[in-house]
Amino acid sequence: MAIPVLMPRQGQSVESCIMGQWYKSVGEEVSEGDLLFSYETDKASFEEEAKADGILLAAFFEEGDEVPVLTNVAVIGKEGESTDEFAPGNEGASVVKEDEPEQEKKDEESSKVIEFDVEETDEERRIRISPLAKNMAEKMGVNVQSLKGSGPRGRIIARDVEVAAQKAGEVVATPKAATPEPVQPAVKPAAPKVLQTGADFEVKSIPNIRKLIASAMHQSLQNSAQLTHHLSADARQILKLRKKYKKEYADGNVSQNVTINDLVCFAVIRALEKFPQVNTHYLGDKMKWFKKVHLGLAVDTERGLMVPALQNADDLSITGLSYQLQQLATQARNGNVNPDLLSPEAATFTVSNLGNYGVEIFTPVINLPQTAILGVCTIIPRPKQIEDGVYAFVPMIGLSLTYDHQALDGGEATRFLAEIKDQIENLSV
Amino acid sequence: MPKNQFINPDEVRKSKQLEFNPIPVNQYNKTIEQEKENFTKEDFLRIFNDMVVIREFETMLNLIKTRGEYNEVPYNHPGPAHLSIGQEAAAVGMAYTLDVEDFIFGSHRSHGEILAKGLSAIAKLDDETLEKIMETHFDGVTLAPVKAGHTGTTKELAVKFLLYGTLAEVFARETGFNKGLGGSMHAFFTPFGVYPNNAIVGGSGDISVGAALFKKVNRKKGIVVANIGDASMGCGPVWEGLTFATMDQFRTLWDDDMKGGLPLIINIVNNQYGMGGQTCGETMGYEVAARIGAGLNKDQMHAERVDGYNPLAVIDAYRRKKKIIDEKRGPVLLDVLTYRYSGHSPSDASSYRSKEEVEAWESQDSIVWFGNELVNAGIATKEELEQIKSETESLITSTLKLAIDDDVSPRMDMKKYPNLIGEMMFSDQSVDRMEDREPEVNHPMEENPRVQQLTKKERFMFDANGKPHSKIKTYALRDGIFEAIVDRFYKDPTLIAYGEENRDWGGAFAVYRGLTEALPYHRLFNSPISEGAIVGTAIGYAMCGGRVIPEIMYCDFLGRAGDEVFNQLPKWQAMSGNVLKMPVVIRVSVGSKYGAQHSQDWTALAAHIPGLKVVFPASPYDAKGLMNAALQGTDPVVFFESQRIYDIGEMFHEEGVPEGYYEIPIGEPDVKKAGSDVTILTIGATLYRAMDAAKILEEKYNLSAEVIDARSLVPFNYDTVIESIKKTGRIVISGDASARGSFMRDLASNITELAFDYLDAPPVVVGSRNWITPAHELEDYFFPQPEWIVDAIHERILPLAGYSPENDFTEEEQLDRNAKGI
Repeated sequence: MAIPVLMPRQGQSVESCIMGQWYKSVGEEVSEGDLLFSYETDKASFEEEAKADGILLAAFFEEGDEVPVLTNVAVIGKEGESTDEFAPGNEGASVVKEDEPEQEKKDEESSKVIEFDVEETDEERRIRISPLAKNMAEKMGVNVQSLKGSGPRGRIIARDVEVAAQKAGEVVATPKAATPEPVQPAVKPAAPKVLQTGADFEVKSIPNIRKLIASAMHQSLQNSAQLTHHLSADARQILKLRKKYKKEYADGNVSQNVTINDLVCFAVIRALEKFPQVNTHYLGDKMKWFKKVHLGLAVDTERGLMVPALQNADDLSITGLSYQLQQLATQARNGNVNPDLLSPEAATFTVSNLGNYGVEIFTPVINLPQTAILGVCTIIPRPKQIEDGVYAFVPMIGLSLTYDHQALDGGEATRFLAEIKDQIENLSV
Repeated sequence: MPKNQFINPDEVRKSKQLEFNPIPVNQYNKTIEQEKENFTKEDFLRIFNDMVVIREFETMLNLIKTRGEYNEVPYNHPGPAHLSIGQEAAAVGMAYTLDVEDFIFGSHRSHGEILAKGLSAIAKLDDETLEKIMETHFDGVTLAPVKAGHTGTTKELAVKFLLYGTLAEVFARETGFNKGLGGSMHAFFTPFGVYPNNAIVGGSGDISVGAALFKKVNRKKGIVVANIGDASMGCGPVWEGLTFATMDQFRTLWDDDMKGGLPLIINIVNNQYGMGGQTCGETMGYEVAARIGAGLNKDQMHAERVDGYNPLAVIDAYRRKKKIIDEKRGPVLLDVLTYRYSGHSPSDASSYRSKEEVEAWESQDSIVWFGNELVNAGIATKEELEQIKSETESLITSTLKLAIDDDVSPRMDMKKYPNLIGEMMFSDQSVDRMEDREPEVNHPMEENPRVQQLTKKERFMFDANGKPHSKIKTYALRDGIFEAIVDRFYKDPTLIAYGEENRDWGGAFAVYRGLTEALPYHRLFNSPISEGAIVGTAIGYAMCGGRVIPEIMYCDFLGRAGDEVFNQLPKWQAMSGNVLKMPVVIRVSVGSKYGAQHSQDWTALAAHIPGLKVVFPASPYDAKGLMNAALQGTDPVVFFESQRIYDIGEMFHEEGVPEGYYEIPIGEPDVKKAGSDVTILTIGATLYRAMDAAKILEEKYNLSAEVIDARSLVPFNYDTVIESIKKTGRIVISGDASARGSFMRDLASNITELAFDYLDAPPVVVGSRNWITPAHELEDYFFPQPEWIVDAIHERILPLAGYSPENDFTEEEQLDRNAKGI
């Protein structure tokens, strides 16, 4: 019997994915484990493997289509098997089928594919469904788009989902028994398509992640009152510590090569513990105060900027912190980070380090709803009075704190920044 | 309706005419020389001093309100300040003779009375008691600011304490007498005998009667004075209070030493205006308020008018009237004539009276006049009086400075403790008896005929074969209520119960049958048909420390006790800063069969008001357990009972209704029947119709219904209901109240918010129609029927195969009914 291939759900917050490249074409033979297609979520790209042997009988979407998660995207089965009942918008429609002439049905089907254009579905197809039925459908993997409701006024109710799930042969024991799906490795996004070519330019499509970053950054600047304070901290202590760790790592005494960035993050976490008002989300009419520090780390990747969150960063030692940050950055670069950790809500505060690139001052953009972000700049020797009348060049590390003035006042922000400076200058680990 | 009082037609039909005694008006005519034998110089100066203190206190408030400063101390007080400048002699004269254990109740214009009674109490209390009072009030929080740096005597400290506690209260400071929760119109301090003042005109008119009832029933020393205005004589509850206070039965029917009138003085502080309405000549017809006494009882309430501009005249009247009360010939009505120069409130432009009138009264100012009298009679020198005035001014100035200092006198920290007021709404105590002494009863409980009869009843509705016992043999819901109440009567000596037809008749629905035999008159009696006073007196009774069960015969009569149930009963615990407890259980019987004004379920009205607990049991087991819980608590409980099921037996609790004591916690709904497909949540007697609906669903449509009885409305634990919805995903809420604005709607809205993700359809409310209740024969078209519940499930939740509904529960119909307002 033919089985459908679902668009997987990557993380609880993901509602739809963008279809990537098809690695198999319709009619081709596939074996379990073969790569079928790639797809993108908000922040990462993934590949889906075939879960059964057979022929790829149908592929319902093309590259670039936005596909709600848990929707059928393809069918694998034996040659000659019908795939109609799996077509999105057509599941369980076998009763209707008999009454209609073959030709008509085919027409309808082909037009349906076009209807699945991203922009229109949300607006035009308002589905009446009870909250319970909706939750059950998500957990049972039933596509509600196609369901006919048996409740009052055609509302899709729980029993409709149960019936559909039974039909699809995918009965899940209880609606609550959903388990988190394993995170799959991502692939590089497809190269941008050239949309238009002119004499001296090309118009190219932009990948989904670029659109998302664009929207998040624009929203941040539109919806908050952000401004940036700069100051610099005496970096002698962290340089000393860095030197010590470097040596110990080289000597094999510690397992972790603790970096300047790790040390700065460690100092920031200590400062956040003293300033809980910064370790917050600003929610318009209220503030969400976190008891733990979930530290967002801006990571530059091939796919674009990613900010994975390190949960409970305040529980970690300096080596633990260093290890975890390294892991997280690697996962982000490889694209196999848990998408839930990429949500701006996952972090309580973010650090963005451009020191390596020699940036002296910058104005990082807040990852809303967080209330602030710290930009870490390069270390520059600056003249400093070290005793009365005696000046020397001291390595100073630049710190740029952007904060949402809606949530914090200048005084608070300055005191917090000064606290980071203080922590950096007197860091003990 | 006692049988021993024979109404002889030959007597009552005789021709005769009523004679009235003359009512004295301003008869006091002693000179200050003559009064020298009754007052020492110290006494005279105390009277003068107390008037000056009140005048200066209110002058300060007036300046703060109108100019924003007093003696160069600036302050903005946005709240109320109803001043009584000009009325000082009336207040001091009233309070002068009162003992500490005499209680006064007042109005929105009672700063003067608080201070006069407080100063009077301070003069009478010894230092040790005073210190204890001050140090124990809120653990010394009110005392601390005035104690710091105090060097004088304890009595001087107590005066500072009184002024400060009152002013801090006016300014809503946490250090005030009631934590700032009462404010200007409600401030009081019970250790000095100052009981709640009331912002509702005439509000004290029935509450004070209940306080006097408490004194009488519990043999407490002291009298009760109700300071109410001349205009409050136009208020229904005041008349009801007067009627209640003058009931014949106190003298004719109450037993032995209980015989005799209430220790109560209705003290009409007659400043001749009700806000701007002139009571004599415009808004009332009595001409002289003392005339009212003649209409109330044969003693004419010993009414007289007294010149309230002469403190000695008022004191003289109080000395004479207290004697009448000592002889158990109360209550007394006094019409104390006075005048206020200040406006009703600072916004009053005095457009209703002439400048000449105010000036004429000012020229006879009682403080100036009394001072001159003292000087002329050689009792005091001008210098002595001036000294009193200047000392008072500096006392008031320093009190003001303390009371507005945010560090010394902070407001409640609602930012740090956002639930502070919430925690004060209920006292939530568990108290067996309000006082520790032997309850007065007529015989041991086991000898009571009703108690004996109940031992023979079947405490579960069905026999071993599942067949119901005969009605007469079945222990019914009314028996459950009775058992809880009789038990408490034998436990708590302060417990009393009253209402219409409570004694002899045993209540209109026989709940109290047997209680008449068990209890002396003063613990169970018939009230006048005065729902306002029935509840109002209960409030006064509870404020003083007693437990009480007032009864409202039909829920429809609750409106008659509107102010008492909605404004007084729920609020005094919190408004007192938790000084007062309110162990009042109002029994309210919800009718049927008797049409539009005898069949309404008004649970939503009670549930809407913050500060009331609301229960509505529907089974004998729940009725007894919830009544036990209500009577064990210290909070006001509105206890709804349905007349439709007074005789129903216990069909849920299979062990039957226990003979012993048990409590069912207020606020816990109960699953009466488990099920898996749909939940039906009911309020009150509709439980049984929901059970019938469940049967239809099960037998005809293979749908398993879970039936939950709300039992309580406030508080309400939603966990049970949400757990049920997690199982069923569907819910109908039903009860006998008209659906619009009902508590069912509140349940539905909370359930939608709290269980949204589990719902397979919106919660549907099946309530009564938004009509008048029709005659019994048409009631099935008005109250929810089992079929309605099935119809609603079919049309709004889960269409049932092959079902055709009888009633229209469609969205169109709902829209249409709402659009029409029906």
